Amino acid sequence: MRVVRLLLVDDEARFVETLSKRLTSRGYYVEKALSGQEALDLVTSRPFDVMLLDVRMPGMDGLETLRAVHRLQPLVKVILLSGHASINAAVEGMRLGAYDYLLKPTDLEDILAKVEAAFEKKRLEEEQQGDWRQP
Amino acid sequence: MGLTTLVRKLFGRDQWRPLIAQRDTKAALRLSYLAFKDLITSNDELLEIVADIEQKLETGSPFGMTYVRFRAVACATHTYRMILCLDKLSARRYQELHFVFAGIQKAIEPLLSGTRPAHATCPLVLRLSDIDATSADDAGGKAANVAEVRNRARLPVPDGFVVSTTAFAAFLAHEQLGEDIRAKHDGLAPDDQQSLHDVSEELQALISAHRVPGRLVQSILGAYDDLAARCGTNPRVSVRSSAVGEDGEFSFAGQYTSVLNVGRDGLVDAYRRVVASLYTPRAIFYRAIHGIPDEQAAMAVLCMVQIDSVASGVACSVDPGRPDAGTLLITGAWGLGITTVGGSVSPDVWEVARAAGTPVLRARLGVKDTRADASPEGGVGFLELPESVTSTYCLTDTQVRDLAAIVLAAEAHYGKPQEVEWALDRAGRFVLLQSRPLHVRAVPAAVTDLDGHADGHALILTGASASAGCASGPVYHMSESDDTSRFPDRAVLVARHSSPKYVKVMARAAAIITDIGATTGHMASLAREFGVPAVLDTRSATTTLEPGQVVTVDANRGAVYEGRVDCLLSGSAAAPARTMTGTPTYAILRQVADRIAPLTLTDPKSVSFRPDQCRTFHDIARFAHEKAFGEMFRMSDRVADVSHRAVRLAERLPFELHLIDIGGGIAQSSPGEPAVRAAAIVSEPMAALLRGMMNPQLRWWEPRGISLSGFFAVATEAMMNPAHDADQRRLGDKSYAIVAESYCNFSSRIGYHFAAVDAYCTDSLSRNYVSFRFKGGAADDARRARRCALIGEVLKKLDFQTDRRGDLVNARLRKYPREALLERLDLVGRLIVATRQLDMRMGRGTPVDWFVQAFFAGNYLFDPEQGRAAAGGSPP
Repeated sequence: MRVVRLLLVDDEARFVETLSKRLTSRGYYVEKALSGQEALDLVTSRPFDVMLLDVRMPGMDGLETLRAVHRLQPLVKVILLSGHASINAAVEGMRLGAYDYLLKPTDLEDILAKVEAAFEKKRLEEEQQGDWRQP
Repeated sequence: MGLTTLVRKLFGRDQWRPLIAQRDTKAALRLSYLAFKDLITSNDELLEIVADIEQKLETGSPFGMTYVRFRAVACATHTYRMILCLDKLSARRYQELHFVFAGIQKAIEPLLSGTRPAHATCPLVLRLSDIDATSADDAGGKAANVAEVRNRARLPVPDGFVVSTTAFAAFLAHEQLGEDIRAKHDGLAPDDQQSLHDVSEELQALISAHRVPGRLVQSILGAYDDLAARCGTNPRVSVRSSAVGEDGEFSFAGQYTSVLNVGRDGLVDAYRRVVASLYTPRAIFYRAIHGIPDEQAAMAVLCMVQIDSVASGVACSVDPGRPDAGTLLITGAWGLGITTVGGSVSPDVWEVARAAGTPVLRARLGVKDTRADASPEGGVGFLELPESVTSTYCLTDTQVRDLAAIVLAAEAHYGKPQEVEWALDRAGRFVLLQSRPLHVRAVPAAVTDLDGHADGHALILTGASASAGCASGPVYHMSESDDTSRFPDRAVLVARHSSPKYVKVMARAAAIITDIGATTGHMASLAREFGVPAVLDTRSATTTLEPGQVVTVDANRGAVYEGRVDCLLSGSAAAPARTMTGTPTYAILRQVADRIAPLTLTDPKSVSFRPDQCRTFHDIARFAHEKAFGEMFRMSDRVADVSHRAVRLAERLPFELHLIDIGGGIAQSSPGEPAVRAAAIVSEPMAALLRGMMNPQLRWWEPRGISLSGFFAVATEAMMNPAHDADQRRLGDKSYAIVAESYCNFSSRIGYHFAAVDAYCTDSLSRNYVSFRFKGGAADDARRARRCALIGEVLKKLDFQTDRRGDLVNARLRKYPREALLERLDLVGRLIVATRQLDMRMGRGTPVDWFVQAFFAGNYLFDPEQGRAAAGGSPP
């Protein structure tokens, strides 16, 4: 099976570092970005499967980043992470095409389950898109 | 009539489906299926959270605002995702759901902040002379109470001012401090010592480093200058917490910081320190255990002229250890009162008659070896005292009687027992610094004569009773710095000093004994509040009592006995289990859950099965779930390719089953037929499930409770009887399945009941799974709960990983070889049909185990008469 390519985006370096280590040890390929802009630079240069994206970041915030990412890679599955429990933010994120909206802090196991589900969805979508391209 | 109009007439409103417009309708159907699958997933997750919330409400097990917020947001996210998925499937046919959702969201969102409505009209600072007990929302409990005593009861209280809760709100609003606090607080696991400690430190650091907005600084200093003008000097002040709710129903005794002896320069900093103490570990814990949302914690700060006291202490207008004795209790020590209330010295104690003239009945000299003083340079200094001073009472009998009169006046004003902090100034005048309601419990009459022995058990210690009641348990020694999480449940806490820090174990402690400590201190107040018997000031508990030794604490008489003295314990009921029920946080969850959990939309055939009839997230989910199936079928109807059509299953089942094939799930031998027989189902997992559902042993069509011997004729007749159709309509309800060669998703919803199977089965073991869910209606119905228990037990025996929460059963089987998986699907099929109408049979009489055995014996009618001989299926 293919290795899942993850992108972690959060301005809290410590959080990114810890989560990245734990995800890597579970066999994921992980890249890190500390801002929306950094994330976009990465997304421009290579493909990702799933992105864990913090909502509240200085500069380009999570929702803006989400919009820009989807213009570049429409199929990448974005899981929004937020420290602020607000239905409004969740709804806005989902409306913009996020795969899910998770509140921090959350268990690694929860994150893993979401990542797996998101990846499965992406895989199926890719299969279907493959179908279209056939004559 | 234009083409567009024609199409609309034929297919209903808005039929320009982006997905169907794609040339390959087969691929479009599969893509729709992805949206559909998301919808199913969110439906499942929503049901799981709903079950969890319902369980919390039912059991009252502990939770905080973080729980409420996280679950509400997750429910909203899943509900909204279902709406979005349905939009995709239906080309936005059900737009109204968005409005309904927004309406529910609007009702829920304000509840999640957990805050009280703001009093924007109150100024940032208030003069103590301008407020009274009715000002508690603006000035906090402590300031409001002491102002009441000063301005209404006209008792001596120092002058001062209050930095109001409006000021607190302004401080929090400044540069989003409040939001940052909430976010950090959501990261807390209150049961985890380390997490509590870390989060508390972060929060306090956050607040201590936060800039106080300029206009607030101006107001505070302005109020100080105003006070100085009234005093004619630049007084030092004591800066004390006055949180909303403090000294009210909950005392929060000693949970917050006071900064004593502060000059003008240190005022703003002291303000911040006191505000930060809203988030000490014990304050957070105290709120959590009382179910008070942290967002409702609002801190006003009381600044009073610092009294340079000769002596000070606490007085209770009723002796809390012996409320019926007709006495009041005064404790005191040299210098500032912090030594007494904090429990670091044994104060002098006077028992005074409440009767006229308030004669002193008994006095006991304390061990007042330390004195706290207001230092000339600010702050507090501690001084070791020589023997000559410690051996003298800090008040004369005359002074005690005068003080007693003041205490009784405070009680008379409030009309209920009071606990006051008092100080004696250099001029020999008493002032009151605080007054709060005193928690007292009725004490049972003496059960035995207590001269040395109780029922043969030796009296080993005596002390002062701080909180009435009797309890027994093993001794556990602790000091203030020890990790409270190690404290064993129902142990007897034995400590050198009393300390309010022990609040963290109070919910678990059987009783408390200390060497030193005042029955009028903070810890004593807390012990009374938690109903924990406490005997303090025994002088030698830590040296007399061995760890693990079982003792009985009779706090009604201030005695500790060796072993377990049953005659004492029988008189006092066990402390009631602490639950969230009745707390503010519980009430908020209840309100939030009212807009999430109830299912009011149950009948898809009813005319009121409409978006505008959805009252809750659960209703929206129910509606979207039903319509999503409808959309999948509509779409498959329009697919020209026969391999993707929708069909009805022409077999005898207790429900009408409709199937969509999304690829290789149904044989194409009879194209164009609206109905197929089971033999045409080539989807392996679906075929296995159907085999189970159609198992002849099930005999679900037979009337229950009739002996089965010689019943075959009837059964056969029923099979041939056209009335069977009507029967089917009555039971009625459509069930749906979406199938592919190696996949099936089956779902059946009848009224409140919901059963779903999702399975994937190939030769590749690692991707194989079966997921089964069942939700059985109201969780408080014993029979339904028992049905869930039965289903859960059967699935467990079949190796499923099973999780049962309230009326929701959630089971998964992963990575099973193909044959074994199919066998299990067969049994799951039987289970679904067999348990459909089981409610009536699942009364309290028969153990769930019996039903489990009956199921595996093939007794699918759960007929008590049927022997094992008739066994049909047995576990593989």
